[in-house]
Amino acid sequence: MMVKKVNKDGFKELFNKLKEEYNIAAPILMEKGKKELIEYGYVDTFEDIIWDQQPDSSPKNIVFPQNSYLGNDFEGHAAYDDGQPTIILGVRSCDIEAIKVLDQVFIEDEMYVDENYKNRRDKTIIVGLSCPERQSSCFCDTLGLDPVESDYAPIYLFKDDGNFWIKVKDSQYEDLFNGLEEGDQDKLNKLLEERRAKFKESSFELDIPIPLPEKDMFEADIWQEMTEKCLGCGVCTYYCPTCYCFNFFWEGEDGESQKYKSWDSCMFSSYSVHASGHNPRDSKDKRYRNRIMHKFSYHPLNYEGLACVGCGRCIDRCPVNLDIREALKMTEEYLLEKGGAESGKD
Amino acid sequence: MSSYEKVTDEIRSIAEKLLKEEEVEKIIGFGKGLFSDEVTPIFVSRLKDVDRLIFSPQASMSLAKYLLNYKEQKVAIVAKPCDSRAIASYLSEDMIKRENVKIIGINGCPGIEDNSACQECDIRNPVIADYTVGEEMSEEEIQAEIEDFEDEIEKMSPAERMEYFRKEFERCTRCYACREACYVCYCEQCFTESNQPDWVGESVKLNDNFTYHLMRSMHMAGRCVNCGACEMACPEGIDVRALAAKMVRAADEIFDYKAGLDPEQKTLLSEYDVNDREKGFMDE
Repeated sequence: MMVKKVNKDGFKELFNKLKEEYNIAAPILMEKGKKELIEYGYVDTFEDIIWDQQPDSSPKNIVFPQNSYLGNDFEGHAAYDDGQPTIILGVRSCDIEAIKVLDQVFIEDEMYVDENYKNRRDKTIIVGLSCPERQSSCFCDTLGLDPVESDYAPIYLFKDDGNFWIKVKDSQYEDLFNGLEEGDQDKLNKLLEERRAKFKESSFELDIPIPLPEKDMFEADIWQEMTEKCLGCGVCTYYCPTCYCFNFFWEGEDGESQKYKSWDSCMFSSYSVHASGHNPRDSKDKRYRNRIMHKFSYHPLNYEGLACVGCGRCIDRCPVNLDIREALKMTEEYLLEKGGAESGKD
Repeated sequence: MSSYEKVTDEIRSIAEKLLKEEEVEKIIGFGKGLFSDEVTPIFVSRLKDVDRLIFSPQASMSLAKYLLNYKEQKVAIVAKPCDSRAIASYLSEDMIKRENVKIIGINGCPGIEDNSACQECDIRNPVIADYTVGEEMSEEEIQAEIEDFEDEIEKMSPAERMEYFRKEFERCTRCYACREACYVCYCEQCFTESNQPDWVGESVKLNDNFTYHLMRSMHMAGRCVNCGACEMACPEGIDVRALAAKMVRAADEIFDYKAGLDPEQKTLLSEYDVNDREKGFMDE
C-alpha cells in the first residue's frame, strides 16, 4: 500500500495527466430541464467535479449502460464492447459496494460471464472517495458499510480542506502516482478515524436477520400496506445502483435485426408475465416484495453481502416518496412480533 | 387563495368526523414520511393518525388514481381542484362509484411548488365535493393569478420546437413514472407493453422515446386535466406535460371542451356532432 498527499493544484495536474490516457467520469452538475442534478458524466475540466455532495445517480450506467448492443448473431452473445480505459472518480462507499454486487453477478458467477461487462470493468479503475457527511436519506452504515473507506476500490481518496490524500491499495496502479509527495500513513489513519466518529450516531437503527427468512417474509401480510402508495413505475430500480435486471430483445433497423440487452425493472407489471398470460407477480405488493427480498434475502443466499447499499436514491427519486427505510422497519416489527408470538406458543 | 395551514386544519377535522361516524374506512390524503420531511400520500384508517394529514406546497401527487384500488370500499379523498376533475372524469367514465367516495375538496387552491401547470390553472375550486376546505376563489381572483401566463413553446418555430423536444426526450429513461402518475393512464395493457405489434421498441432510443410520448399524448386529448402530475413525477426533469397541455388547449379552442368539469359530462371523443368543426388537433 502507498499513501500520497497532494494539494488541489497538484491533484488538478494529476487529473490532467490521467485524462490523456483515460476517460474520466466524475460527479458533475447536469441541467435537466428545470432540474439541476449531480450525476456521473465524462469530465474535461477538473473544476467541474463536485466532491462534497452525494451524486443524485450512481455510476451504474458507466459499467452497465441502459442499452448494450449485442450484434446480430443468432448463436450466442459475442462481445461487442471492448471497453475504454476509464477512471470513475470520487465514488463513495455505497456506489463502490454496488459495483461489487454487479461484478458478483456479471463476472464472478460461474453460471455465465457477461463478456461486454467484463471488458468494460477490466478497463475501469474505481477511485473511491471518503464520504464527507451523511445525507438526509442514506443509511449505508446501518447496513454495515463503512462510509469512510471501502476495500473494494483499488484507489481511495480522502479530501480534507486543502489536500487530497491518495491511498493506493493495488500495487499495479502505483505508477500512476509517481513523483507525488508521500503522505504520512498514520496521519491519514487518524483523519479517517476522526471522520468515522462523525458517522457514529446512526439516524436509522435496524435489527433484521440477514438473509431475511424466505418463507416467513414471502407469506407476511405487510406488503400490501407497505406498497399502498406505490405507483408501479421503474424509478427505484433504474436509479438503484445495484438493480441489474435486464432483458434481451431483437429490434429491426435498416431491414436487419439487431440484438440488444437493456435494463428491465421488477416493478413493471409486464416483468414476470409468462407467455401463457399468467403473471405470478400480478400486483405491486408482490412485485415490491420481490424487490426487497432480492436485496435482503435472495442475493445474500446466492452471493455474499446484501444487494442494498443504503444510498437512499430510491427514496429521493421516488415520485411518491416511498421510503425503503419504512419498509425495512415494518419488516423488523413484523418479525419481532412473529418471533414473540411463536416463542409464546412453546 | 387559501392558506396551507388552514386547509390542513380543516382537512383534519373533517377526517376525524368521517372516521368517528364510520362513514368511511380510509382517508386518502397527504402526510409526511416517518423518516423524512418529504410529502407522501398517506392512507389513514385510525383516528390517532388523523393528525398526520397535511396540505403543503409539496403535495404534488394526484391522489385520484388511488381510488381505482378501492372501488368497493368506502373511502374519503383529499382533492385539489385538478384532482377533483380527475375524480369527475372517473365518474363520467364509470370507473368508480359515487356512493363509495367522500370528496374533501380544496377551495382556492394555492398551488404546488415547481408545478408549471399551476401557472395556467383556471379552475381553482373543486368541481365536485362532499366537503370543502379553504376559501373559494372568485373568477376575478383566478383571472388575476393567470394573467401573465404565456406558452413559450407556442412561440417557437417548428424547427426550434423539434429541437426543444429532442433535448427533452433524449433524457427519457422510460421508467414510466409519468404514465403511472397520470390519472388517465389506467389501461390494463399499455401500448408500450404490446409486442404484437411492437409499437415502441424496448431499447431506449430517441425515436422510440418520441413514439412513446407522442402516442401517450394522443390518448390524453379531451381527458387530460392538466394537473402536472406527470411532470412532477419525472426524475429527469422532462417537460412531459407540454404535449398533453397542447391537447388540453386544442380541445378547449376547437371544441370548447374542458375535461372533468362534471360527472355527467361525456368524454370529448365519445361524442359526435355533425356540426363539429373539421379542424384537427394537429392543424396549424
